[in-house]
Amino acid sequence: MSEFNNRIAAQRTILNLVNGGCSFSEELFGLSRKAIDRWILTNHIDSESSLVHLINEVSAKLFFLANKSQEQVSEEYKTVSTEIECLYKSIEVEIG
Amino acid sequence: MHIYAFGSISRGDIQADSDVDLLAIVDGFDSRFSSDIYSIYSYNRLRDLWQEGNPFAWHLSLESRLIFSSNNDDYLKSLGSPSSYNNCARDCHRFYSLFREAIDSIAVRPNSKVFDLSTVFLSIRNIATCYSLGMTDQPVFSRNSALCLGKSSLAITSEAYDIFLRSRILCTRGYGTNITDREFQVAVSQFDKIDDWMALLTAQVKTDE
Repeated sequence: MSEFNNRIAAQRTILNLVNGGCSFSEELFGLSRKAIDRWILTNHIDSESSLVHLINEVSAKLFFLANKSQEQVSEEYKTVSTEIECLYKSIEVEIG
Repeated sequence: MHIYAFGSISRGDIQADSDVDLLAIVDGFDSRFSSDIYSIYSYNRLRDLWQEGNPFAWHLSLESRLIFSSNNDDYLKSLGSPSSYNNCARDCHRFYSLFREAIDSIAVRPNSKVFDLSTVFLSIRNIATCYSLGMTDQPVFSRNSALCLGKSSLAITSEAYDIFLRSRILCTRGYGTNITDREFQVAVSQFDKIDDWMALLTAQVKTDE
């Protein structure tokens, strides 16, 4: 599968974890900066909370690779994928 | 450093809810550019995209306008025409897979519905753009490319199409009214038609190869 499709799948995994584990009035629509800001605002979530920090971190990692040169992507993809897996586990713990 | 406008603002068909697409080309990290506002690319990365004939390279080549150049040259123009687009079948297949993954996700665990509907829109738009670039003389890069393929256009209800588009805007820009349960069902009811359309385009591209 392409790395583009992989990034979409990774976003879905994180969103399903957050939306399945939290009972907010509005779901988190995506991991773009603006979608996260809306989610915080609409649901009156503390923007300094650990959960928000973790989601922001995942967001930054997922969008990190998009602009990299082809030859850089493979190695960095592996590193960032591992980091995202760790963040997934941290969010899982945070949500309880 | 170079800055370009591209997309609808460049084509002249910008609407109230359109993005203003801006491209910044830099060498290394530049704190002046936020990825919330700019698509940020390095010179090397763009050169790679040009060499592989990537659809984004064709998009920029055909529909971008220089806004600022730190050395007075037009970098994208200096790259000439991108290489021929030879990956149409591969790309159409990937976007078809993306669609299938989104509808499978909805069937299995529908708790990120807007994201999945947004992904359906993304796959619809991208497969149409790739098809138009690989199979026709008139590539369409507009977000409504799926409606601009003549007799090969996507034929779903306009209500459902607008719901997919709204989901995409909610997902990327966090802007708009949330999707109601009724609207979700309206969108889901069109999945079979979208599937048939994508299967047809993908088969045509394969045959052409």
